[in-house]
Amino acid sequence: MIGDEFASLLAAAQSGGEAAFSRLWRDANPALLRYLRVIAPGAADDVAAETWVQVVRGLRSFRGDEQAWRAWLFTTARRRAIDLARHRSRRPETPLDDVTVAQLPSTEDCAEAALEHLSTAAAIALLSGLPRLQAEVILLRVVAGLDTESVARLLRKSPGAVRVAAHRGLRRLAQLTADAGVTL
Amino acid sequence: MPNIPQSPLQDGSAATDADLAALLAGKRLVAHSLQPVADVLAALSAEPSPGELAGEARALAAFGRRAGVPVPRRRARRGTAGLTPRLSTKAAAAATTAVLLSGAATAAFAGVLPAPIQRFAHDAFGAPNARSAPSAPQPDHARGKTAPGQFASRAKSKAGAKSHGQGRHPGRHGHGQPGTGQGQPGNGQGSPHAKGQGAGSSGQGQPGTGQGQPGTGQGQPGNGQGQGNPHAKGQRGDPHPQGQQGNPHPRAKPAAHHARPARHGSAMDP
Repeated sequence: MIGDEFASLLAAAQSGGEAAFSRLWRDANPALLRYLRVIAPGAADDVAAETWVQVVRGLRSFRGDEQAWRAWLFTTARRRAIDLARHRSRRPETPLDDVTVAQLPSTEDCAEAALEHLSTAAAIALLSGLPRLQAEVILLRVVAGLDTESVARLLRKSPGAVRVAAHRGLRRLAQLTADAGVTL
Repeated sequence: MPNIPQSPLQDGSAATDADLAALLAGKRLVAHSLQPVADVLAALSAEPSPGELAGEARALAAFGRRAGVPVPRRRARRGTAGLTPRLSTKAAAAATTAVLLSGAATAAFAGVLPAPIQRFAHDAFGAPNARSAPSAPQPDHARGKTAPGQFASRAKSKAGAKSHGQGRHPGRHGHGQPGTGQGQPGNGQGSPHAKGQGAGSSGQGQPGTGQGQPGTGQGQPGNGQGQGNPHAKGQRGDPHPQGQQGNPHPRAKPAAHHARPARHGSAMDP
C-alpha cells in the first residue's frame, strides 16, 4: 500500500507522469499477480497485462482514494479473468496425445509444497486448495488489502457472506496446515 | 481403534472470530494454533519477486501510448465528432418532416387524400373538401329525387363547384327529374360560387341529353342577390349547365343547391 502519497501519485499519473504510474504499478502488480494465480491459473501474466491496459485507458477518469483504486484494479482483473475463462471454455480442448508426460501438470500436494518452502508461490498453491470463494475472499482481504465491504461489492456478495467465507477459509487453511504435520 | 483426543485448536475450528479478524488484518501475533495460517498469509503479502515486476516495461509502454495523446485536443475532437452526428440527425429529421408536411399539403390541395383526412384538411387549412367515394352507396334521396331544401343544413358549407365535374357523364346516373331545379336559378345566381345553380345542379335534367334546359335559369335572376356577378353562369345563359346534364354523383352536394333556393325563396320555384 502506498499511503499518503497515493493522491499525488495518482494525479501525476493522470497527467501523464510515467514515474508516478510506475510507482503505482510496482505497488499493485505483485498483489494482482498473486490474486490472478489463484483465480486464473496459467494465465495470470496475460490477464494482468490486459488489466493494466484497461486501467491505463480509464486512468484519467478515475476518482477515488487508494482503497477505491485497488478495488477498481482487482475488479477489472477479475472481469478479465472471467472473460478469459469463458473464452477458453468455448475453444476446443487440445488433445493430450501429442503431449509428453514431462509436459503434464504435476499433481503436487499443495500442503506439502507449502511446508517444504513457505514461499509466496507455495502459499498461493496452498490457498488454491480452498474453495474458490474462500480463497478469493482471503486474497482480496490480505493481498489486495480491501476491507469487507469492498470485497463484498467486488464479489457481489453481502458483507456477512464475505465474513463467513473468510472465516471458513482461514479455518480450512488451518486444517490443511495441521494435516500436513504442523505441530501445535 | 483408540480414540485419540485431538487438540480443539488443531483444525482451527476453535479459533474465535477475533483471532480470524486479526489474521485478516495482518497481525502476526495470534493464537499459537493459528500461527501456521499467519505464516501463510504473511507469505502471500511478502515482498515482490523480480518475476512479479517483469511486466513493467509492457505496462509503461501501454501507458506511454495513452499518455502521448494530449487531453484537451482529444476531448475537443471527441466533442466535435459527437456534435456532427447530432446536427446531422436533427437536420435529417427536420428535412423529413418538411417533406412529409409539404407532400401532405400538396395531396390535400390535389384532393387525393382519403375522405376523412381530406375533410380534416379542408377544415384545417382550407383544402378542397372530400369527394364521396364513387362506390359508396347512395341514398335515393340524394340522387335528384330529394325535394329542394332537404339538405339545407349542409348547403351552407358545401355549395360549390363539385357539381360541375359530376355532370360530365350524362346518363350514367342522371335520372333526376328534369325541371325540378329549373325554378331555382334565381338564388344561385346571387352566390358567387353557385356555378351550376342556374340550371339545377342536383342531377336534374334528362339523362343523356346533356343539355337540359339552359334557359330556365335565366328567367329568374331577379332575387337581388347576384346581380352584377360576372361569374354567375346562370345569368349568362350557360349553354351547358352542368346540373342539367344528368349528374352522375348528385348526392347531397347537389342537393345543397336545392337548399339555397329553399332558404331564400322557394316561392320562386316554378
